[in-house]
Amino acid sequence: MGVLMSRVAIVGVGWYGFKPTTIDVSFQDMMFESSARAYANAKIDPRYDVDAFVDCQEDMWEGIAISDEFAPEPIGGALRPTFTVAGDGLEGIAHAYMLIKTGHFNVVSVESHGKPSEIKTLQDIYRFALDPLHVRPLDYVNPLFYAGLDAVAYMKRTGAKREHLAMVAVKNKNNGLSNERASFSTRIDLDYVLSSSYSIYPMTNYEIAPFSDASITFVLANEDYAKKLTENPVWIEGIGYSTETGTGATEWHEWGKMKSFRSAALMAYKMANLNGNPQVDFAEIEDRFSFMELLALEETMLVKEGEAHKMLEKGDLNRDGFLPVNPSGGSLSMGVQLEATGLSRLLEAYLQLTGKAGNHQLKNVRRGLVASWRGVPTYTSMVALLSV
Amino acid sequence: MSYDKRNRMEDLVIFPGEQEVEKYVYTPGIHGLEFAKGLKEGKILGMKCKDKIYVPPKTFCPDFTQGELIEINDEWILVSYTIVYQDMYKNNLPNPKIIGVIKPKNAETGLIHLLNVPLDKLEIGIKLKPVFKPENERNGTINDIKYFELS
Repeated sequence: MGVLMSRVAIVGVGWYGFKPTTIDVSFQDMMFESSARAYANAKIDPRYDVDAFVDCQEDMWEGIAISDEFAPEPIGGALRPTFTVAGDGLEGIAHAYMLIKTGHFNVVSVESHGKPSEIKTLQDIYRFALDPLHVRPLDYVNPLFYAGLDAVAYMKRTGAKREHLAMVAVKNKNNGLSNERASFSTRIDLDYVLSSSYSIYPMTNYEIAPFSDASITFVLANEDYAKKLTENPVWIEGIGYSTETGTGATEWHEWGKMKSFRSAALMAYKMANLNGNPQVDFAEIEDRFSFMELLALEETMLVKEGEAHKMLEKGDLNRDGFLPVNPSGGSLSMGVQLEATGLSRLLEAYLQLTGKAGNHQLKNVRRGLVASWRGVPTYTSMVALLSV
Repeated sequence: MSYDKRNRMEDLVIFPGEQEVEKYVYTPGIHGLEFAKGLKEGKILGMKCKDKIYVPPKTFCPDFTQGELIEINDEWILVSYTIVYQDMYKNNLPNPKIIGVIKPKNAETGLIHLLNVPLDKLEIGIKLKPVFKPENERNGTINDIKYFELS
């Protein structure tokens, strides 16, 4: 089979954690745990069968300078081609995809992890990510204020109300009740959210995802190897990533929009030979702030601009709705695992497509979309289109 | 997987550590320096990139051309706002912070800054003006502007 024609598939996955704290393991232990499970799942030995290793992490999250030097051993990559992507795990998947497409790599693994429970000054690390001249010196206290600015501008543009943002939280927090990885799921109703006080206007704490510790490892392979390794390959039809404005120029951002989602989605759809709406059976979409689910649905063109909150209100985005969105409970239920957040959403999509999602399994799903964002204060987004 | 996890809080040992995160000097850059000098004089500089205006100015434009410094004398419009009631650890702030994006009327984007606007007047599109600190208290940083208020 010609190299360029060969498709790329996910052939195995392993995960560890998804808890607010993981006190008896180090971050490297977590990497080892998820990777050992992934290689067992794909029935391969990483020391012989994996041609390259991709790791996704950030020095400031680890509390270690040049932390990529800590990557190879716990994922099986010592003295083998290993490199780190300082970005979300989905960007790592895109790099693995490209390596396989070169024809020089048959099997590539991708690991990402986050251990926010060990960061004692998380707010200061976020603060440290802001522009040191124009933004950081201001007395804003909570760097997540960026999400409030985008939420208010989004609501003004689309007519979505505060109630719609709360509805996203109610849907996702309840969806998570049947997901073993959803530590922050809870049985809440709309009145409960609406009667809570604001944390960052217009959002309450139910609409801002908390943090959790997790490590996730994926094994990707070209078409020939995928067919040898598994009976249930999940094909990556398209993948894309984009940055609108770097964090050194967030003032240039178009508030209330997320152009990087649109560019990433168009890149992925083009790769899959699609124009516009890809007609997916479900989506695992960015929701670390409630309004982001609605915005990301529109920017990835799954729904028309300004329609997301109307679909939500009608129940179309429920697990039994016309377009199930975040059947896993999303980040609002599973938490944010720093650079592993995109992989946590890819994991949920992979489990759905292979029929292994357990209590939150959807029926008859053959194509799903994953969309993730690197979070405040970035404007970097990743989109992957998957099918079986 | 690992069979040897200890399972008892009493057995856990942690090693505290610190990152040197505060000891840097930041160079404002070519146009950044002019912006800083402007603040000291009570002026806000922006940049013109072909027919588009951006604030604050960088040396380069979003389309990768070089920007031209200009002084902004336009009225300022509120693009979006939020109110921070809690810090990231969910502690309530004694005084919630009102934060806005404020742009000159004819510009593409604007500054992020604090607002001194009554909550019932807070709305996208309202006209605002910058309020500077007294001249002898200015030091060429973004905080030379105290806040934006209704014009």
